[in-house]
Formats: sequence, C-alpha cells, structure tokens
Amino acid sequence: MLPDVTVTRRILDAAGASASVEEVPILGVVCRVPAEQARTALLALRDSDLGFTFMVDLFGIDTGDAIDVVYHLRSLSRDEEVFVKAEHAYDSVLTSVWKVFPAAHFPERECAELFGLTLADHPNPKRLLTTDGVPPLLRKSVAIRSAEEVRNR
Amino acid sequence: MAIDKLTGENSLLFIRSEQLFDTARRKSLWYMAFGIACCAIEGLMHASGPRFDFDRLGVFFRASPRQADVMIVAGTVNLKMAETVKTLYDQMPEPKWVVSMGACANTGGPFREYPNVVLGVDKIVPVDVYIPGCPPRPEAVQYGFIQLMDKIKAQTEVRLAARRDGN
Amino acid sequence: MSDPREVVRPAGSLAAPDGMLPAGTYEPEILPAGLTRAPCGVNSLATEHLIVNMGPQHPSTHGVLRVLIELDGEQLIAGEASIGYLHRGIEKLAESRRYSAMGTLMDRGDYISGINNEMAFALATEQLMDIEVPRRANWLRSLMAEINRIASHLIWYGPMGLDTGAMGPFLYAMRDREVLLDILEDVTGQRMMFNYVRPGGVIADITPTAEKKIRVFLETFDQYLEEHIEILAGNEIFQARMRGVGIIDRERAVGFSLSGANLRASGVGWDVRRDRPYAAYSELDFDIPVAEEGDCFARFIVRMEEIRQSVRMVKQCIDGLPEGEFAAKVPKVLRPPAGEAYAAVESPRGELGVHLISDGTDTPYRMRYRPPAMYALQVGESLLPGNLLADGIVILGSTDIVLGEIDR
Repeated sequence: MLPDVTVTRRILDAAGASASVEEVPILGVVCRVPAEQARTALLALRDSDLGFTFMVDLFGIDTGDAIDVVYHLRSLSRDEEVFVKAEHAYDSVLTSVWKVFPAAHFPERECAELFGLTLADHPNPKRLLTTDGVPPLLRKSVAIRSAEEVRNR
Repeated sequence: MAIDKLTGENSLLFIRSEQLFDTARRKSLWYMAFGIACCAIEGLMHASGPRFDFDRLGVFFRASPRQADVMIVAGTVNLKMAETVKTLYDQMPEPKWVVSMGACANTGGPFREYPNVVLGVDKIVPVDVYIPGCPPRPEAVQYGFIQLMDKIKAQTEVRLAARRDGN
Repeated sequence: MSDPREVVRPAGSLAAPDGMLPAGTYEPEILPAGLTRAPCGVNSLATEHLIVNMGPQHPSTHGVLRVLIELDGEQLIAGEASIGYLHRGIEKLAESRRYSAMGTLMDRGDYISGINNEMAFALATEQLMDIEVPRRANWLRSLMAEINRIASHLIWYGPMGLDTGAMGPFLYAMRDREVLLDILEDVTGQRMMFNYVRPGGVIADITPTAEKKIRVFLETFDQYLEEHIEILAGNEIFQARMRGVGIIDRERAVGFSLSGANLRASGVGWDVRRDRPYAAYSELDFDIPVAEEGDCFARFIVRMEEIRQSVRMVKQCIDGLPEGEFAAKVPKVLRPPAGEAYAAVESPRGELGVHLISDGTDTPYRMRYRPPAMYALQVGESLLPGNLLADGIVILGSTDIVLGEIDR
C-alpha cells in the first residue's frame, strides 16, 4: 500500500526536484513539491522502479493561502499509492502534465477553471464545466447562495 | 351521436371542431426524449417501461423537438443548460406544454445554493404542471400528465365560453 | 459460432507477470484541440468536412453530453466532448453540509448507483473518525451495493441495445430493474436516492418482505440473465457492431486512468473490491472477469459476467447475513478530527473515490469526488477519430458514462 519514504525521496532528489516526503497518518505518503517542479517529479515517479504509471486523480484544494494541486498516483505493478502536492499561488499558471499522464486532460481543465488558474502547455485550455463569466466556484472566497436569496427566488 | 339516415346505424358523431382537436391533443401527448439528470431515469425510462406503461395514456416519446407536444424538464438546469432548454422550447411547434419534473426543475432542489444552478426552470420557459418529488415516482409523473390533460380540456372550455359570450 | 462467453476468463492476480505494465511506454497522440474545416475540392475525391453538433439533447448520448464532431462523409475526423451541462456543484455544496447529510448529495452524483456513492463517503468519514462498523452492517452494505450494481448494469445494458438498434432488450432490462428497485425501496424507502449508508453503518435493517423478494428474485433472475446475454451477444448484427470496434489497448487504458469494467476489459485485473477490500468483500467469494480484447464486445461481456458474479454475491449475502447491530453508536453531529482520507469503492462505473479533508468542524473542508466516468469519457473521445459515426455512438455508449457523475 505505502511506498518506502526514503526510496521515494531518493527518486525525487535524483530528478532534481526539491521535495519533502512524509507519511501523513490515515492518508499515506505525501510529496510536497514546488509548482514549477511538479512535472519533473511526476515524470521521475512514473519512470522510476516504483512504476507509478496510473494517475488516479488530479484535483485542487484551496488551503486559504494558495491552491494545492494534488496528483494521486498508483503503481499497479507494486500496488502502492502516493500523493504529490504542488502549491500554486492564486491566479498563477498551472503547467499541464497531460504528456506524462494523458488522463490529466479533463481534470486539469476542471481544476484550472474552478480555482481560477491559467493553463499552460495544454492542448485545449478552454473552460470545461461552466460558461464565461462564472467565478472560480471552488475557491473559499466565492460564497454559495444564502437562504434569503433562495427563498426570494 | 346521431342515426345515419341512409344506413340507419348509430354511426354519426357531431362534435365541435375545437373539442375534436382538444380530444386529439389530450390523448396523444408526445413528449420530447430529453432527460437532464436523475429524474429522466424515473420519469422517462421507467414510466415508459413495461410496468408503468405510459403508452396507455397516449404518452410516447419523440426524439425530435419538432414532433413533440410536451417537454418534460427532468433535472437540474444550470446556466450552461438554460440556453439549450430555451432553444428546444422555441423549436417545438404550437400548441406546446412544459412539465417541470422534480425538485430541481421546480426550485433548484438540493442544489439551489450553488451559484451555477438556475432556481427553477420557470425562470426560462413557462411551466404548466409542476411535479414534486426528488425524484417523483413514475406514478407521480403519470398523475402530472393527467392533470395536464385536465388543464388542456379546461383551457378549451374557457375558449369556447369566451367565444359564446362574445357573440 | 463459438460461445461468446468463452472470451471471459477468471482474473490472474495482480502480481502475475502479464499483469505488469512497462513504465511510461504510452505516448499520447495529440488530442483534438479544436475543429478545422478541410479545404474543399483539393482533389476529386475530397469532400467538404461537415461539423455536426451532437447533443446535449440527443437520444444516444446517455444524458446531456455534447460532442462536436467533424465528419467526412460518414467518417469521423475529429471529435471533442463538451461537458458541464449538469454541473451542480456537489463538491462545493459538500463544504456546507454536515457529514451525515452528505449521502443526499452523493446519491445524486452518479444517480444510477446511489448505494456505492454513499458508501465511498461513509468509508472516508469512518477512516477519519476511526469508527468500527458492525459486521452485519458491512454485510448489508455489500448486499445492497450488489443489488444496486445489477440494477445499474441493467440500465447500461438496455440503452446499449438501443444504441446498436435493438429496442427489445431495453424493455426486458426495465422489467428486471423494477423488481430490484422494489427490493431497494422496501429496505431503504426510496427507489433511487437511498441515503441508506451512513457513517457508522446503515439506517435500516433488512425487512422480512425484502428478504422474501430477494429470494424470489434470485430464483428467477439466473434464467433471465442468460436470456439477456443471449438476446444481444447471440445476435450476429450486435456482434458485428461491437467486435473489433473501439479497441482500448492496455497502455491506453492505464494512461487514461480507466477503472472498473472498462479497465478489466482491456486486460488489467484491478478491482477495488479485491485489491482494497471494504464492506464485506473480503469474506465473500467472487471472481473478477477480465477480457483481453479491449473492444466494445469485451466490455459488454465483462459487464454481463459482473452481473453474474453480483448475483452470486447477493446469494451469499442473503444466506450468510450475520446477526447483530446494523449501525455503530455514533454521535448525532459528526466532528472528525482534522486530517485527510481517501476511500474508494468499486462503483458499477469503476473506482469511485472520495478524498475528504476535515478541519475538525461539523462540515468537510474539502471533498473531492473522483468520477470514474470522466476518465472513461476522455478515452471515448480519443477513440473517435477514424471511426464511423455509428460506431462512435457505440464506443461512447460502451464505456458506460453517466453525465451526473462526470459533471458533478
């Protein structure tokens, strides 16, 4: 289930990504990398002996200070999972990793749209779910409708 | 009813043209196969399935809005969908009716607080019958259609009465 | 004609050499970024390309999917899926709902398999709060999830017939689904939106009438299932439409993160029920069907075989249901300690995961709903170019997409 923390750290260091790898209780092994090194780190993990070839999911988290983009990887051959978190500043650029994991195509568009990031290096950097003029809905600063507003619809 | 003078059989029917059209419309309410969300499974698929057999009431689905009389709005309408719903409504020939099925189409339902969701389809198109429920049972949809038939009949009566009084 | 069910073989274990994947061998093609109009009359054979907008109101797109396609005659040149017509913000609304009330929203995500969705959220909450679920509750969860899985596969099977031009299977599927919905309604009180699985257990025990209904269902369904398979898989036209169409090879399936029956039809034996056991699946006896071909027919056969395995599991669950409580004692208002958890279930469409982040209050800080159908749609979209238009419909249909889950 859980990959070896030291091995993971060695792989990321060898690729030149300055990552902090730690084991978070309940969740598992989490690697924190800077936003600009996310692609390098993912490529290193994919091509390493651990073989993280399967991207389970890609999504964002609004932590209050920045957007954490989470890449959830799985190794089918060794049956291990790892989470890679890359911290992006608000309104910054999300560099696409769809050439590393083709599955990132839609989730990246969704993440960029709902958290107000700009996509770079993406084959189709359009909006995915909403129409023009809708604010980045999953940010904590965007409020949902109040009960008052719903009642006086 | 009247006796045919030539054959002596009880085969002639005298009816006002308005009432004839009214009967024809009421007994063949064809709805557009346009399911948006969960309600489509219950209201469109199960209702026309073997147990509930919507066909008994003359209600059947057509794939094209050009051939449909009724639009069942079965699901949440959001800002992206609203435009399509309006276009489809405009494409349907007159006379046309709209049935709003389920909590989402009525008021926004469980998703009413999300800014991307339209608070009820009646903000976009005029609605004739609202069916409550999340999702409504197929029986509820059938009851809604019976209500729609009564409404169509009542509208005809009103129109006939207005013409009679006007003359 | 050989028996079409022969292509199904029981799964090997994951560690088997042929289950391994060479790292990073899959290089994606350029995905359709936009549509171009080809020049007309360049040579005598060239025809003008036509751009057709299929959906969101289209009987064959399984919901409100919109696909922009570029056609050269009947040939698909490019296709681009446009989604979001059912985006209702389940992830955002989760941040203002209490933990025990989240089942209502999860149900409406993938609206055909509500029990599985609720279970994913309940499992994540239980991980955070470290709740021990009673054994009977686990068995009831598995029982209802498998009944729900059969119902869900039936609603895929019927429209699959419609997509290939057969009306009859749809009516038969609806007939059997009604029986299953009766059982689910008897136990949970609703036909579709169950809100049955809560953190700590389930909300109601199985009723004597439901038990009787399940036994009646088990007596009749085996024969019906053989009929279902025979009607479509034994049909030459259906086979011609499905065999060799929309082949997803193993590298593409893994690269696009497919899961569930779509992945197993491409030769990768991954099943959350076996590899990350939850509920009572570690105690149940079942096989994971795997096919090697990766075409539409393989996906059909794998799903049909899954129904058979589900029937087996329902039988085991109803016979071996242990005595005891159906829910653990949990507080009325759940306040998990701050932390993160990921829980996945094998929904009929694949690995449905919930990534839950708690900050110690009574509402989640962030909930991520991993939509398996969204990944299936991507691979369907990438397969479109080069196929006939009619085959494109079959390819999209065979991946079993539910738009409520893709858009959330």
